[in-house]
Amino acid sequence: MSDLLDARAQMGTSLAFHIIFASLGVGLPLLLCIAEGLALWHKDSGWMTLTRRWTKAFALLFAIGAVSGTILSFEIGLLWPTFTKFSGSIIGLPFALEGFAFFIEAIFLGLYLYGWERLSPRAHWLCSFPLWISGAFSAWFIVSANSWMNTPAGFQIKHGQVTGINPLQAILNPSTPYETSHMLLAAYVATGFGVAAVYAIQILRGKRETYYRKGLLLAMALGAIAIPFQIFDGDLSARSLADLQPAKLAAVEGVFHTEKGAPIQIGGIVDDKTGQIRFAIEIPNLLSILARGDPHATIIGLDKFAPQDQPDPFFVHPSFDGMVGSGFFALFIGGVFWLLYFRRKRVVPENRLLLWGIVLSGPLSFVAIELGWVVTELGRQPWIIYNILRTSDAVTTAPGLGVSFAIFSGIYVVLAITLTVLLLRLARSPLPKQEWPVLASSSDEGVGTK
Amino acid sequence: MTLTYAILIILWLSLIAYAVLGGADFGGGIWDFFAFGKEAERQRSLIGQALGPVWEANHVWLIFLIVGLFTAFPPAFSILSTALFVPFTLAVIGIVLRGAAFIFRANSEAVTSKVWGRVFSTASTITPFFFGTAAAAVASGQVHVQGGRVQTDLLAGWTTPFALTIGALALSLCAVLAAVNLIIEAQHNNDAELVEAFRRRAMIAGAITLVLDAVAFILSPFQAPLLWHGLLDHALPLAIATALIGLGAATSLFLRRYRLARVLAFTTTALIFASWGLSQFPYLVPVAVTINTAASPPSTLLALLISTSIGMALLLPSLWFLFHVFRGKHPALNVQEKAAEPTSTQH
Repeated sequence: MSDLLDARAQMGTSLAFHIIFASLGVGLPLLLCIAEGLALWHKDSGWMTLTRRWTKAFALLFAIGAVSGTILSFEIGLLWPTFTKFSGSIIGLPFALEGFAFFIEAIFLGLYLYGWERLSPRAHWLCSFPLWISGAFSAWFIVSANSWMNTPAGFQIKHGQVTGINPLQAILNPSTPYETSHMLLAAYVATGFGVAAVYAIQILRGKRETYYRKGLLLAMALGAIAIPFQIFDGDLSARSLADLQPAKLAAVEGVFHTEKGAPIQIGGIVDDKTGQIRFAIEIPNLLSILARGDPHATIIGLDKFAPQDQPDPFFVHPSFDGMVGSGFFALFIGGVFWLLYFRRKRVVPENRLLLWGIVLSGPLSFVAIELGWVVTELGRQPWIIYNILRTSDAVTTAPGLGVSFAIFSGIYVVLAITLTVLLLRLARSPLPKQEWPVLASSSDEGVGTK
Repeated sequence: MTLTYAILIILWLSLIAYAVLGGADFGGGIWDFFAFGKEAERQRSLIGQALGPVWEANHVWLIFLIVGLFTAFPPAFSILSTALFVPFTLAVIGIVLRGAAFIFRANSEAVTSKVWGRVFSTASTITPFFFGTAAAAVASGQVHVQGGRVQTDLLAGWTTPFALTIGALALSLCAVLAAVNLIIEAQHNNDAELVEAFRRRAMIAGAITLVLDAVAFILSPFQAPLLWHGLLDHALPLAIATALIGLGAATSLFLRRYRLARVLAFTTTALIFASWGLSQFPYLVPVAVTINTAASPPSTLLALLISTSIGMALLLPSLWFLFHVFRGKHPALNVQEKAAEPTSTQH
């Protein structure tokens, strides 16, 4: 592989790994806050047991998120030194702000994980608020920096020199509202359906305790509330591309030639050579309607861009469709679940097909996040900063990037396997038999764990 | 100008915070590595107890330092990342394995837990060493830049005898910081044996630090002349103060004044970094980058200063609360003592 491809592979792998933990780091604290609040309010040991379990899982997930995030903060400089040199003074600020948000999150995580005996139950619960609030802020700040790479703002270039830097304008660049809201909602959707999938499996296996139903119920509430907003938000986001990044929209929809009344092409295999998508389902005029609200509107195709400025739709198009498909699947599952729940007088539905649907929607929601980032990042190529700096010009001159890529990939594999084993072990450990007051303020839930 | 220095001082203070707090956590891993005998398990669990609630927060000082450098001095960040690609990559690998292994160890079964414990202690030695060598490469002016491009060879700069000495010095310093901290933790647990064990360890590590200091001192006129002249020229009083306070730390350790020893050891570390910074003034990366040529425009620095002030206003009280809550005796020990009291009165 070339150095550029090695660097992109390492960065991509690192981001794909980290985003799972980052999303859970945003979503899980919210679930913790709600579950612990319900536990204290109703003095309910079921909710408290859920809180305890999720806390243990969160401790593992947060640590891996923290270290994989550290890799990324170094990689920005190690792999893309020209990018950092160019962009630091313009867009470094949200990274610094994210640093503070992450700091607050790490501090209150320490209090939350180890403070069961040292804090009153109420004070302990209050520690979950800074957790989910700073988690959301972290996501917002970091994604605003990514938005800037897509629609750079807050500076001018005069005679090859960057001048007139306005960091606030850079943070609030045109893509920021779309990207940040889409990522935040994605984190809640994926956490909701992801956690729900765990309890759906347990119920499918015949676990009957209310504990499992409570877990399923709360997680499905989070996921099902977030998913309609997410789909609406995704539509806004895609439409914004028509003006902000027409090349990306063309890659997303596989539009090779500029045309009026463009159809939408769902799925299929992109053939770069012929400029066609084979085996796609075509719906006439729909792309023009969706993007511009007019069935005869002109959609700019890749042909409007010089060959060296074109993103490759080969992965971008199917990734986009995969993401949208996963989103609608989650919407469908969430809708059916709550429909059955309320029609059956608030009894958690145990229809096996539905439970299997939930089991599937969990991983699919995370796949959707990955695919969404593939669309954002590959759709921006060949630029690292859209229309300003090419990815190939930003890569480091350090040799041996293949070695570094191989080492980090190996580390990710080991971490992923170990984490999976430990989380499964946690899920299988028997439920504690302790009663309310002990459960609310002791160091341990009592059974089988250190 | 003033703005640039204000930001620089904040970043340098973050570096010190990371060196002291993060350093003590890495040092914990080093002592985990050297835990042996019948006390070994108790030592390991004391180290785990000390690190558990704070290591993630202590680690964020590094993140803050990186993103701060990225924002305020982008060319310096870019040059350092290129010239020190190898030691930084190795240090990051150490960070990842240390953190992951620490949390894996606490959640695994006995056998795998042992394996992860080994990974934890080994990885804890990687990061301070390579950060130490990288710092030495910078301080000794081994990062060469021409026309904006880094000229330094991948293995140059951080593999000199001076740099390797500083790497080892970073390790022994972390070990000292951890040991003086673990003494206090052991006191909270009423574990007199471990107090003595870590007092011995602190003194051994302190002696090694002293020797490495002397080696670095002898090497520096030849291998880091800029640092040497800077030290003589405008950081000499600070360097002498550092040495005296270090001596004070050793004395109070010997006299079993543990709280004082901890304060003095932490202060010594802070002053070492302050002397380094002062010695290489006005360079950020001697002699390739000066502070003023690397600084971002005032609009960026002002925005960073305002955000940092707001951020610190939220952060510092939270951090104080974290350390406050986990200070002192573990509540479980109080319960045990209460339970033990009736039996002891019967005798």
